[in-house]
Formats: sequence, C-alpha cells, structure tokens
Amino acid sequence: MFEPVLLKRASLPRSETIEVYMANGGYQALPKALEMKPAELIDLVKRSKLRGRGGAGFPTGLKWGFMTPENVTKYLCVNTDEGEPGTFKDRELVEKDPHQIIEGAIIAAYAVGAQRAFVYIRGEFFLGVKRWIKAIADAYARGFLGKNILGTSYSLDMSVHRGAGAYICGEETAMIESLEGKRGEPRLKPPYPAQIGYLRQPTLVHNVETLANVPHIVNRGAEWYASIGTEQSTGPKVFCVSGHVFRRGVYELPMGTPLHEIIYTHAGGVPGGKKVKAVIPGGASTPLLTGDELDVTMDFESLAAVGSALGTGAIIVMDEDTCIVDVARRTARFFAHESCGRCTPCRVGTQQAVRLLERIEAGEGDSRLIDQLVDLVDGMAGKTFCPMGDALVAALRGTFKFMEEFHAHVALKRCPLGLPYQEGAPIREKAPGASTHAAA
Amino acid sequence: MTNVRVTIDGQEVLVPAGSTVLEAARLAGIKISTLCDHPAIEPIGACRVCLVEIEKQRVLQPACTFPVSEGMVVHTNSERVQESRRFVLQLLFSERNHFCMFCQMSGSCELQSLAYENGLDHWEFDRAFTKFSVDASRKYFAMDHNRCILCRRCIRACDELVGNGTLGLKNRGANTIIIADLDVPFGESSCVSCGTCLQICPTGALMDRASAYMGAKNEITRVKSRCMACSVGCGVELVVRDNRVIRVEGDWEAAPNKGLLCEIGRFHPLHEERHRLRKPLVRREGILVEATWEEALRAAAQGLKAAGQEVCTVASGFVTNEEAAALQALPGAKALMGSAPVAGDGSCLGVLDEADVYIMVNTDLAKDHQVAGFAIKRSVRHRGARLVVLSDQPTKMDDWAIARWTLAEADRAVRLAAEAQMPAIIYTPEGAALAETLAAQLPRAKRVALAPLGNALGLAQAGISQGFDGQKAAAYVVVAGEAPAMPAPLASALDKADFVVAQASYREPWDQVADVLLPMPTTFEKSGTMVNTEGHAYALSAAVKVTLPSVQEMAAQLGSLL
Repeated sequence: MFEPVLLKRASLPRSETIEVYMANGGYQALPKALEMKPAELIDLVKRSKLRGRGGAGFPTGLKWGFMTPENVTKYLCVNTDEGEPGTFKDRELVEKDPHQIIEGAIIAAYAVGAQRAFVYIRGEFFLGVKRWIKAIADAYARGFLGKNILGTSYSLDMSVHRGAGAYICGEETAMIESLEGKRGEPRLKPPYPAQIGYLRQPTLVHNVETLANVPHIVNRGAEWYASIGTEQSTGPKVFCVSGHVFRRGVYELPMGTPLHEIIYTHAGGVPGGKKVKAVIPGGASTPLLTGDELDVTMDFESLAAVGSALGTGAIIVMDEDTCIVDVARRTARFFAHESCGRCTPCRVGTQQAVRLLERIEAGEGDSRLIDQLVDLVDGMAGKTFCPMGDALVAALRGTFKFMEEFHAHVALKRCPLGLPYQEGAPIREKAPGASTHAAA
Repeated sequence: MTNVRVTIDGQEVLVPAGSTVLEAARLAGIKISTLCDHPAIEPIGACRVCLVEIEKQRVLQPACTFPVSEGMVVHTNSERVQESRRFVLQLLFSERNHFCMFCQMSGSCELQSLAYENGLDHWEFDRAFTKFSVDASRKYFAMDHNRCILCRRCIRACDELVGNGTLGLKNRGANTIIIADLDVPFGESSCVSCGTCLQICPTGALMDRASAYMGAKNEITRVKSRCMACSVGCGVELVVRDNRVIRVEGDWEAAPNKGLLCEIGRFHPLHEERHRLRKPLVRREGILVEATWEEALRAAAQGLKAAGQEVCTVASGFVTNEEAAALQALPGAKALMGSAPVAGDGSCLGVLDEADVYIMVNTDLAKDHQVAGFAIKRSVRHRGARLVVLSDQPTKMDDWAIARWTLAEADRAVRLAAEAQMPAIIYTPEGAALAETLAAQLPRAKRVALAPLGNALGLAQAGISQGFDGQKAAAYVVVAGEAPAMPAPLASALDKADFVVAQASYREPWDQVADVLLPMPTTFEKSGTMVNTEGHAYALSAAVKVTLPSVQEMAAQLGSLL
C-alpha cells in the first residue's frame, strides 16, 4: 500500500500551521540542504528524476542546471496560478500544507542561487492567499526566510503576488510579464526564463507540486524517490479526479498508477453503474481517452504513447450520457475566453472553433461544418505563438475520436443523446462526498 | 561579427549571426510576406503571416523573430507555407469588418494586398465580427476598431519610437482592443498627435482625415523632401495627387528623423486655416487691394526708395539657401526672423539616442524640435536615461524628467550629470549662456545646440546671420514663407516702420502690417536646399507645381528697380 508523501499531513487538523508542519517532520530537509553545496543538490534532484508537475514534465534537475550564471541576481517564481480546467491539486497543497512548498522553494532557491522568490497565486484562491501570507510570515519569524537563513550566509526573501484572473498567466513567461506589472502575455522563447526572466534576470519557475516534492527528496534520498513510480516518471503524483465518479477529489498515488484503478478503486467508479465514455487524463488541454483506453498507466511516457499527456494529472471522467460535442464546445469556449489575443491563429481560431461547434451542436448546417472544423484545427496546429493554441488543437483532436457523434448531430439536427443544447448548462449528476481523499 | 551561411529557397546567403530569418531573406532579396512586422520597430511574431518552413524544425516558424543558424535551410514559399499564410489571412478577414470597398485604405492596405497576393477569393470562415466603435475624438485622424487586425504596430511605434507610450490594449482574445492611456477617448489622451501610429498602421484602422478617400497607391506619387518648420529638418514623403499634397509622411530612410514627424510637420500644412496668398496685394488708402505683379513690385520699389539705405530684410526659417542668396540683391541690412543660431560642439542629433543624462536648458522640446524630444523620451523610457529640465516655467517634457529645476538651480544638474558617462546638454539660443557654463563643468558633456529657425544655418551660410532684435529701419522686406506668427520684436518694429514689403504664402498675419504683400511658394512648392541644425545640407523637391513668382524673381526684379 502506497503511503502518501505530499498529502501526508493534509488530513491533520490545522495542517496549514507551522507548528503542525514542524511537529510532523517539517523543516528538517532545509538544514540538510543548506549544508550541501548547490551542485550536490542539483545532482540529487537529477538523480531523483523529479519532473515538473505543471504539465510539461520537464526534468527539474536539468532546469536547475540551466541557472548557471554566477554573481547575478536570480529569481524563483512559485507558480500557484492553477487554472487548467479540472485541476485543483495545487490549491489543496497550498491550503493544507503551505510550509511544505515554502521549504521546497527555499531549497530550490538555494540550489540555483536565487535571492528573491515570488509566489504568483491565482487571484481567486482567497484562502490560499491568506495561508501563503501567514505561512511566509511564520517562516520569517522562525528564521527560515529572510537574512542568513538558519545562521548560514544564505538569504532569501519571499512575497505573494496575486493574479488577476488570466489562465495564460500560468504560462511561465506570461507570469513573469504579469509580475513585472505588464499585460499577461507570453514572451518569445527562446530565451527561456532560466536565461532571461523576471527583470531580464535568470528566473526559475516551478509548479507548487514540483517544489513540494523537494524536501522529501532531500530527507529521504534520490534513490528512495526514484523507487516510486516508473522508470522515467518517478515519485508520487497528486491526481485530481472530477466528473462522473462517486468520490471526486484529490488523490496522491505513485506515478504509473493505472487509470482504471484511480477511477474504480479510489474514486469509487461511475454512479448508476454507467460505462465510462471518455476520460480527460491531464486537464482540459490534453486529448481525451475513450472508455476502451482505461488500462493506460498514469505517467508521462504511457500517456504520450496513447497520444495524450499527463498534463497536470487532472482526470475528468465522462459517462456514457455525455455529449462529446458539448464537451468540445465548452473546451473551445474556455480557450476562446482565455486567449490573450496576441497571435492570429489562437485569437481568431478559437473564436471560429466555438462558432462552428455551436452550430454543429445546435444542429445547424451539414457535414461541411465538421470538415471545416477539422480544417480549422489542422490549420491552427503548430502556428500559435505559445502552446495555448495547440492545447485547444490537442483537446479538439481528442474529441474527434467520437467523430460519429459530430456527424449524428448534423444529421439528426439535434443531440443524438437527446440532450438539449443549452448555453452554460450545469453538470447534471450529483455525487456524494466531493472532497479531499488521500488514498487510504 | 561572425557570419553564418543559410540557404533560403535554394539561394545561399551569408548573413550576420543573430539576424532573423526575415532579415536574412531581405539580404538575399527574397520577399517574405509580413504584416505585424515593420523594419522600424521590434518584431513580436504576433500575426503569424510570415511563418516559413525551416528544415529540422517540427512546425513552421515566424521569420520575423526566428534567429538564423549555420547551415539553416529555409523554404519561404513551399506549399505548406502558402497554405499556412492563406489560413492566417482567412482568419484575419473573418475576425472584424474588412469589406474593402468601403475602406479608404483600399488599394494601399497591406492586408488587402496580401489577400490579393495569396489568392483569397472567398471567405472560408463565418464573418463572426462584432461591431466595435469608431473613435473620432482626435483632430487629425480617427480610429476605426473594426478595421484593426491587432498587429500592435501603433502601440510599438508610440512606445519604441516616439517614447510617448500612449497606446495600449484592453481586454483579451476576441475582445482585445487598442486603447489610449487608461481607456480614455484618443482626443483626451496623452497623445501628442505626431501621427506615427497613423503612418505605420497597415490597414484602414487609423484613418487620416485630410486624405481619407483621396487616393489609393496607384493614384498617388510620392516626393521626398524636407520639413522646414524647425531646424531638425525631418525627411518627409509628400503624397501627391492631382498636383496637390494630400498627406505628409515621415521618410523612414531619412536621417535624422527615421520616419518620425511631429504634429507641426505632419498635420499643420494640411490643416492650414489661413488664407492662401495667390495674388499680390497693395495697400491703397489703408486697404489691401489686388494688383498685378508689376504694379506691386513698382509700389514696393517706390516705398523702399523713399527709405534709401535704411532698409532691413528679414528672412524666416522657411527661406531656402537659394532664396537667401538671392536676397543679397536687396539693399540694406539682413536679419533672421528670430534669434541668431549658436554653435554647439558639432554633436549630431544621434547623440540624443546615446546619452545617459540629458539637461534641457530653457527650452521645451515637446513644443519645438519635437522629433528631437522624441529621442529623449524614448531614451528615458527604454534606455534608462535621465532627463533634467532647467526652466523657470513648467514644460511638457516634465513628465519624462526626474526633476525640473529653475535656471538658478543649474548647479544641481551639474552634480547629477557629473557621474554620467555621456551627459547631453540641449539648448536653443535662449539657454546658450547657461549651457556653456554647464558644459565647462562637465568635461564629458555633449552640447546639442538647436537652431531656432528651420533653415537658420543655411541662412547664416548665405550671409544672413544677424538675429532680429528690433533693428531700426525705415522700411522692411519680410520674406516669411509659411511662418505662422510674427515674433514680438518684429511686430513692434514693423508697427513703427514707414513701409513694409512682405512676401508670404499666407495672408495672415502679414496683412496687418504690409504695405505690399507678395505671394510666395510654400515648402511643398519649391526646390532648393536647407541646412539643418546639425549642419547637414538637405534637398527640397517641389511636389506641387505653381505659377507663383519665386523669392529669387522677387529679389532680382525688386533689386533692379531700386
């Protein structure tokens, strides 16, 4: 039985306080890390094979290794701008155990030589903001932050910056622009933030969950960490399960846990004994899997092999009564709403996708609309300034696995499942107990 | 700098490392279609029209931002590239209202040209456009958001070139729209009406009032000339149709302005409200009445003869070198319609893009020599340079300055600039004495002296170097050109004079004082040369043919009558 690592303390009362954190093994990795040389730390993380948990899965140790320049001001950004539809793991980690992230952030900042850390948090995370601010103040009070941390020569300042409600600011360069007080739009890459980031200085940007792993690697060693999960995707992963399952919530499981195990064993299966029609495995921007593909294991390689991606590990389960055209339309609406407006294919392409999908779903027109949609998606692929446009491309291509349903809409001039076309219709099924569950 | 070898469409070309694919293609003489890119501003890779195929790259890459590397092989017109370009253009056309037949830019629009080039003959996508507003609150040009393709050239030009930073964006995605300041009407914004955004806009979104629907690309000719309104001597392109200038644009290739103009140079000539003078006028019984050229010249000669040698000829900054030389045929003293220019240290205006501390002495570059002021603004905005204004009155440059100190506090500016690598002292004759004092204490300082009148240095070379400070004479010959107003000392001198001959392009204000008022070609209507404040001689070309007698004819004929 897998014992939770990241969510171990989450079920304790007042788990967000520094007292509970310290009473349960917190801030023990930091003194160890500060005794190590930065290069040793980077090597340790490299050996642990920790990969970024924000979606792209970039090897963390490698990223740290890019922050090479000496004697320049460097920054660390803690990406708490969790906005991917279906994802609510960072929120849980921040609200339940902020000190775990702070400890990881201090170690990461020390390893790359950053003197200043920013927490960029989604503006709607009201409780999260409160807890971050309190946690940072407590960490300062105990000497974990500020000048000469734990009596060493290393100093680090940390502050919280609230986002103003843009999905794109979760993208690292857009986040940096936003931090600089500019309009949240992605920058041209390369140069990557590790070379030119905040205020044109090298900047390390990490997802909350990535940093939460770091203290455990320092405490228990790279070998222990690498022993969890698969060969290439190591460590524990926090999955967010939502949609048509009994127990929606956050589950911490090893990388490589089979998808059907998460759905049926941990999340309690689909209400009403219905079949799973489709599953989005890693948040709205990953292509969905059909109900026949539930044997896949949840790690970076296996999902890539079936043409999808692990993304943020946000699993959205859809039962047999789900209209996939509706799913496609809602997804497109999200991306059209969140497009920053900089590049043409994303700004206009997402608008056109929504319009075509609205017409298909409402049963207007004929199959030429579907051809046009496919052409539009093919046209957008690989042309956008940042990966957000391609995210919609991937998501829509996933829904094309159910192409017969698109054709049924235009043929019948209505939804074949008999679902009314409804603007902003609520999710239909109510399931009991939508809350946090650390896998027991 | 090292070179790298790249192959573009089968053609091998050696280009400096660090160039973009687009720059490399330009060097090779290969045209890549672009839309949001403009050579004068930084590329942002937003429109995606310039996507090209680069071997070993998974997806198409924007030529405008993608750096070249050794051995790179680029295809700029493969089927994949063409298809991509058509796709992006289709999207752009589907986004907002681009019904070209109603657009004043039809025929000159970059979006439209691209559509023709790429064979767009139908709308592939729904024209789902929402209606946006038209902002016509500005005097000289309007903004129609429905024609806007969000290429952001205007924003970048305002920010990078003019340094004014008025324009920006609000909302996102489909609702993105260009705004001024914090979303106020353009006419109420911090806009200085330089019109650079208007000139750089690829579509009809920014629309010039004077030239709207006045002529498309194939109906106009362009004449390169110079602006004489101040001594910066900006290069202009006069857009001419049917022997009429319909628009003034900055010449992107001309030094020192590199495409920029100010409100005065770009818009004032075409929004002139004074009465154009086309026939000579002679004052009879207190009233100016029309006369023939011969009658007017005879009247002028008669009046001047009565004054004998007590004649003073006053030339404005709109007088060319050739005209100035001809004025030597007239008797008596010669003077400039303003102060005499002072010499700087020979620094070019290019210094304004290099200095790290600017001291602006007793002048306001947001009023006069505005294009020089733009250089300071953009340096403050983007290079971290600092500006100190030394003036007893508030100036419009104060917002860019770290401080405005009075002339008496000049030593504070010296202390500030002492550490600077390259301080620049900018002044006109009014601040010359103080500027010299400052420069004496700042050994590294560059002195940029701005001549007070358009062609002041040219006039000085032609022998008219005296400033006018109320020289007494019985009669005056004023060669005014388009000079907008009478300087105070001149006004009072003319008031007291026995006889005044004026040659001007417009009646006002000379009809108040002149006994004989002769017509004169405007800058658009004459060829010649001028010398700008840096001492560079620039050529003026007549864009419009007129039958008005020139200053040379006036001087020669009047001289012979005396």
